[in-house]
Amino acid sequence: MGPRWKGKGSEAKALAEPMSEIVSVLQSSLTTSDCTGLLSGSQVLFEADTEQSELLNRACFGRVIITSQKDKHWYELNSQEAFYLCYMLRCLKIVGNDGAVKSYDELWHFMISKFEMFPEFFKAYSHLRMKNWVVRTGSQYGVDYVAYRHHPALVHSEYAVLVLPERNGNSSGRLGLWSDLYDTIRLCGGVAKTLLVLHVFGIINENDSPICLKNYRVETRLIQMDTTTNS
Amino acid sequence: MDGRVEMEEFSSPVGCGATLSDSELSSHDSADEDLCSEAGSQTKLQFRCVVLKACWNDEMGMAEIMNHKGNLLKSLGINRSGKIYLSIEETLFLVQIGALLLVDEKNTTIYLREIYSKVAEEKCGCSWEGFKVYEHLKSLGYIVGRLGIPWSLKSSRSCSTGSEDNLELNNKAQNIVDSTSIAESFRDLQLNEVKLLCEDYLPNKLKKMSPEESEFVVHLPVYEVYLPNSQFKKTCPGDPNYVVYSASGNPPSVFDIKELERQSNDLPLKIGHVDDGRVSLFSFDKVDLPALP
Repeated sequence: MGPRWKGKGSEAKALAEPMSEIVSVLQSSLTTSDCTGLLSGSQVLFEADTEQSELLNRACFGRVIITSQKDKHWYELNSQEAFYLCYMLRCLKIVGNDGAVKSYDELWHFMISKFEMFPEFFKAYSHLRMKNWVVRTGSQYGVDYVAYRHHPALVHSEYAVLVLPERNGNSSGRLGLWSDLYDTIRLCGGVAKTLLVLHVFGIINENDSPICLKNYRVETRLIQMDTTTNS
Repeated sequence: MDGRVEMEEFSSPVGCGATLSDSELSSHDSADEDLCSEAGSQTKLQFRCVVLKACWNDEMGMAEIMNHKGNLLKSLGINRSGKIYLSIEETLFLVQIGALLLVDEKNTTIYLREIYSKVAEEKCGCSWEGFKVYEHLKSLGYIVGRLGIPWSLKSSRSCSTGSEDNLELNNKAQNIVDSTSIAESFRDLQLNEVKLLCEDYLPNKLKKMSPEESEFVVHLPVYEVYLPNSQFKKTCPGDPNYVVYSASGNPPSVFDIKELERQSNDLPLKIGHVDDGRVSLFSFDKVDLPALP
């Protein structure tokens, strides 16, 4: 299943404005403004000006919170998006309720305390984003992420992504029953997406820091059910 | 299965023990239609007009064809020393659709019940799951053999002509054959050959060592599958399009998949799952997601 562009001209538009460039401009813009986000639960809230708001939209980071403010736009970033901007792109600082900027280690441990599999999920998110795929939540489709070749306004997502942690050599048990496979694949097919599984291999210990991310390995597999031969 | 079976009386069948050279066997001329020579749905399955006859050999766990008729045998059975032998799954499949009459050494007919028992006993290198997957693929017109078992021990001259790619592919298939140590020609067909990919080689062995971990179970036989091809030649089959493992228990973990990939010399592989009589094939191919601009 190849990319399904929305409408004429979308593909050309995507080629003319590659995602790598958009993200790069976002990164510079946030860095020069020394932007900070506020940690709230496991989300990060960010107040963007008009230019930043446009860049966030184009690069598909965060969701806008509808407010009455006209010149300032509040965005809600999920933990992966926030950590990516903060740790990988180094363009966002994150502060806690006390106003103090959180260190990378503090953030890392905080995210893990909220979600045990954060390391693997983040590695998978990061892996796709680094290749300039747009990654959004896949909960509407019963998966972890959906991956787009460019902005969702221009193209339908091709892949429904599941993250399978293989921590310390042990499989997670996700997709552990045949019915899980049937369910997920049927659903993916019903929404015209292919199931992409990201196996994340890593030795993970309690006291790790995000530096360990470098040592995780991601293996990508397409899980498909034969439509030509299946009864 | 629906369909009309038309029986013909045997007209001068080749007697038991008569032999033909391998090249003759693979190019035997006949006016009969091929059974399912193209992939199609099960409802298009037609019963044969000409019935083959084979004699079951308990020691070998195979059936020896007694009359070389029709085109079916161009992509069924293995050729050894001028004779054609059918595996239990091939035998059962043909008997089920009325294309084969199976007898014992006393020429007494062996009926389905007995053949089902043989499969259930799993002494001929085939399990019930293995058979269901075979039946599924054959009904759709695919050419299916057991992985690592050569269709014929002779290769035709035209086999090695062609591009370098073909040579490489042939070498790949040869590696599988060599690694399973049946590269030499046979004097007698050994039962060991059909038990080639026995349980020791499969992840099943790991299961016994640590049963509480992965519960992915692979059943014999392991198949090599070719797309429907009326030009298929046993003397020069080429590389299979994919390898199929029949599975039950739980889906394979990534470690199971890697082990299977290693065992099938990195040929594309699919896992066949039998669920309430229906067979589904899954692939778990590794992919390199492209970096986008």
